Amino acid sequence: MADDKDFFICRCEEVTLREIEEVIDEGYHTIDDVKRITRAGMGLCQGRSCGKVIARIISQKTGKPLEEVLQTSYRFPVRTEKLKALEEEGPSDAENN
Amino acid sequence: MVQSYDVLVIGGGIIGLSCGYYLTKQGKRVVVLESGGFADGASGACDDMILFQSKKPGINLELAFESLELYKSLVGELEDSLGFANYGGMVLIENERELEVMEEFVMQQRSYGLDVEILTKAAMRKKQPFLHERFIASTYSSMDSQAYPFAVMHRFARKGRQMGMQVVHKSPVVGIQKDGAGDFLVTTAQNMQYRAPHVVNAAGAWAGKVADLIGLNVPMEPRRGQIIITEKIPAIGETNLWSAKYLVTKLKPGIQIDSTEEEKRLGLAFALTRTEGDSYLIGSTREFVGYDKRTTMEGIRAIINQAVSFIPVLKDVNFIRAIAGLRPATPDGKMVLGEHAGVPGFFTAAGHEGDGISLAPITGKLLADMVCEGRSDARLEELSPNRFASNAKEVC
Ligand SMILES: Cc1cc2nc3c(=O)[nH]c(=O)nc-3n(C[C@H](O)[C@H](O)[C@H](O)COP(=O)(O)OP(=O)(O)OC[C@H]3O[C@@H](n4cnc5c(N)ncnc54)[C@H](O)[C@@H]3O)c2cc1C
Ligand code: FES
Repeated sequence: MADDKDFFICRCEEVTLREIEEVIDEGYHTIDDVKRITRAGMGLCQGRSCGKVIARIISQKTGKPLEEVLQTSYRFPVRTEKLKALEEEGPSDAENN
Repeated sequence: MVQSYDVLVIGGGIIGLSCGYYLTKQGKRVVVLESGGFADGASGACDDMILFQSKKPGINLELAFESLELYKSLVGELEDSLGFANYGGMVLIENERELEVMEEFVMQQRSYGLDVEILTKAAMRKKQPFLHERFIASTYSSMDSQAYPFAVMHRFARKGRQMGMQVVHKSPVVGIQKDGAGDFLVTTAQNMQYRAPHVVNAAGAWAGKVADLIGLNVPMEPRRGQIIITEKIPAIGETNLWSAKYLVTKLKPGIQIDSTEEEKRLGLAFALTRTEGDSYLIGSTREFVGYDKRTTMEGIRAIINQAVSFIPVLKDVNFIRAIAGLRPATPDGKMVLGEHAGVPGFFTAAGHEGDGISLAPITGKLLADMVCEGRSDARLEELSPNRFASNAKEVC
């Protein structure tokens, strides 16, 4: 039965509210845990669209203050880069043929 | 308050969770103590390959076969696809010298039961149309497979929990003692204490530090690997790929292979694998830089240069992030698995370097057999931690 939990919280990776809540209920209470298990936040926008919402869901479900949930290692939103762009910037003495 | 269990597992990476799962399945009461969160170690920052072709005939290859069979049965047992797939793999050969070494290696592997062959240039290009022209041949094995490490870990933990296993995050172990009754008393940074007659050290690259807490020697070095992840793109070939160059230098250290200084310093080797999420993981480096698990601009650039030189169309693909993990490396390239003679009841299961995903199921199963039945088959002797006991200094 489709209900209000079957909409995407993370659009890039198509992860629903239901999936995220399930993992929180299992005891995973950090953004990184939820991200690694569901892939929410691993998509093209690197969590810029969904990260805050996920933090809020964790905060609501666990009663942890939002600031505490947001305090995460959250290592890598790097800017999306074309491989070529970096290649051109690369050291010019590179010897690969 | 002290909590009592049958077994304490230290480290909640793929190896610790596999050990925990198989021990729980055999009826043991188990707690897994992890210093960080879910998949904080190497198991959360790696490729997903169950590789055969990279292994020398011997114990590693033998165990990889058994692990593959376990993966197949785990798909049902853990009620998840686990991202398990069987795309096969190819090792790309650039010149005659590499070809010679790879031909010999392939023969050895075949005699060991691995289904692997050398493909001609035409056959190779049929499977990998976007490869750079310079590759003259490749190997191909249909057996090379993959599994999604996050799914495997999550499902080990979930199924284990359903049977009573506990996993405690944010609990770095800082002390291990043996009490008068012969039990281990393990203390975490939060001053929680856990007691059990058995301890399993599954702390990956940190296994040496954990062993040190009870005065044991497990030589383990972190070997950093960096990889980049692309956006989702359509498949660019049939199989996973990697380069012969690295394998050849490993198999025949004497052979002259043209490598740049940077390649040598970074231990650069090409590896490309298609993930669950339709993106590609491209790697990787093999660096000894202590416990620093940051990515570096030099590393990322080198991986990108190499990737574009192997598969030119990749230059138009976006990469969305870079990750780095610390492979647990032993001096002889073999994992450490077994009970320490000096401290009965204390086991180590660590040191899988670049093969921990491949070998996780078989490691957990063998470890559980050792703990539960007190037995270890003779062929595992060469993996015993006792090979590093102080008088048996290893030459590598
Ligand atoms: C770039 C890269 C690519 C790779 N590709 C592949 C591949 O394609 N196929 C493959 O099979 N393998 C691959 N590997 C290797 C694989 O990732 C490792 O072999 C495997 O993850 C090791 O698992 P582990 O559980 O032993 O270590 P880890 O995952 O590192 O787990 C050890 C855990 O112990 C914890 N810990 C440490 N000290 C303590 C303490 N005192 N108390 C409590 N907990 C502690 C850590 O936090 C950590 O979570 C790759 C590795 C890298 C880096
Ligand atoms: S919406 Fe979640 S990663 Fe983009």
